[in-house]
Amino acid sequence: MYDLLLILGLIALGYFSGTWVEKRHYRSIIQRETELLPLPAVTFKTMDYAPETIAGSRMVTGSAVISIDYFKRFLASLRNIFGGTVKSYESLLDRARREALLRMKAEARDADIILNVRIETASIGRTAHRRSVGCLEAVAYGTAVRLKKTSAAP
Amino acid sequence: MKYIPRRPKTNVNVTPASPLRELLILTGGLAAITVGVYLLLGLVVDWVAPRLSGDLERKLGVVFTRTLDIAPDSSQNRKWAQGLADRIQARCVNLPYQFKIHINPSKKVNALAFPGGNIVVCQGLLDQVASENELAFVLCHEMGHYAHQDHLRGLGRTMILMAMATLIFGQDSGVADFLIQSIGLAELNFSRQQETEADEFGLQTLHCFYGHVGGSTDFFAKISADHNPGRWGHYFSTHPANERRIARLKSLARELGYDVAPVKTLPAFLNVQQ
Repeated sequence: MYDLLLILGLIALGYFSGTWVEKRHYRSIIQRETELLPLPAVTFKTMDYAPETIAGSRMVTGSAVISIDYFKRFLASLRNIFGGTVKSYESLLDRARREALLRMKAEARDADIILNVRIETASIGRTAHRRSVGCLEAVAYGTAVRLKKTSAAP
Repeated sequence: MKYIPRRPKTNVNVTPASPLRELLILTGGLAAITVGVYLLLGLVVDWVAPRLSGDLERKLGVVFTRTLDIAPDSSQNRKWAQGLADRIQARCVNLPYQFKIHINPSKKVNALAFPGGNIVVCQGLLDQVASENELAFVLCHEMGHYAHQDHLRGLGRTMILMAMATLIFGQDSGVADFLIQSIGLAELNFSRQQETEADEFGLQTLHCFYGHVGGSTDFFAKISADHNPGRWGHYFSTHPANERRIARLKSLARELGYDVAPVKTLPAFLNVQQ
């Protein structure tokens, strides 16, 4: 009986806290995305800059770890039985990717463009303990290119 | 090429669906399927239970009692309870079992019927009883479970439940615990009917053994006095609410014309513990 109440309590807690945290995170993501919008981050490997116009280039990375809450995990384990899109994990991945991109951009504030941007994901904490609530990590990396001030952007 | 900074208007990577609605649909579907399969297998158990050979049941009994924490066979309490059970069976109970009483040192006020005629009496119950008749009624009640094959049905259903949950969700997932708990509740409802029938069997046997039914309700009166389950508590208890049980026993005794006479006292070694 108490186990059941405990599980229901955890699911309810997961739902309410998860929703609240997610809403807050999205607000922050949207605000920072708008802020960092002028800095382009693209997947092109090269751009046609003349070598003398480049002031410097370096690798920038951003990584974010987002935790699964109890409610989402419960919903996903139900999904595992019937199949279909695991909707409850979609927002987690979306948040992790965007947060990682934002952090990468934040690291490259002095750059004019970030080239060759790649995003990778990894799950954390699933193998250590089977019952633990898993996390997922998104890593975004790219080459930040700074141009000399006199040259115009292409 | 010109770079126009703008944010996408919609997010294609997140499905705009209510997670609560999804939860409702998934749990509802799963519950319906599980309950259906479980009820079906429950019928299979009901069919198999009376057809199980005595030999197989004895073997099952060995398996189950081995997992229990049981006091040494030589204890004085056990011998006395065993003697009482033997006398009851010899005189009044015609069942194909060699009843064996085990004493479990737990403080719970409870007795359990395991396959193969293994009746487990908790020490807490022995500490509580005030007369021989009171314990005799509890033993008769457990024998009633054997008469109706409840012990096999109960174990069979529980085993099905565990096996199903483990099969579907794996050994230690939250969903398995959740299901065992929630279906377990419905199952208790089923066994309350069995408890009432076992009470009837117990009352008749008690009357046959002592010639009266004194002491049959003492035990429940005692528990109901110090253990009131509360407003919702009765829904979660295996045994019907004690007041209702007492009333049922009393009306049944009246119906059958059973008298109430003074009860037999306990042997001295049992009284010492109180």
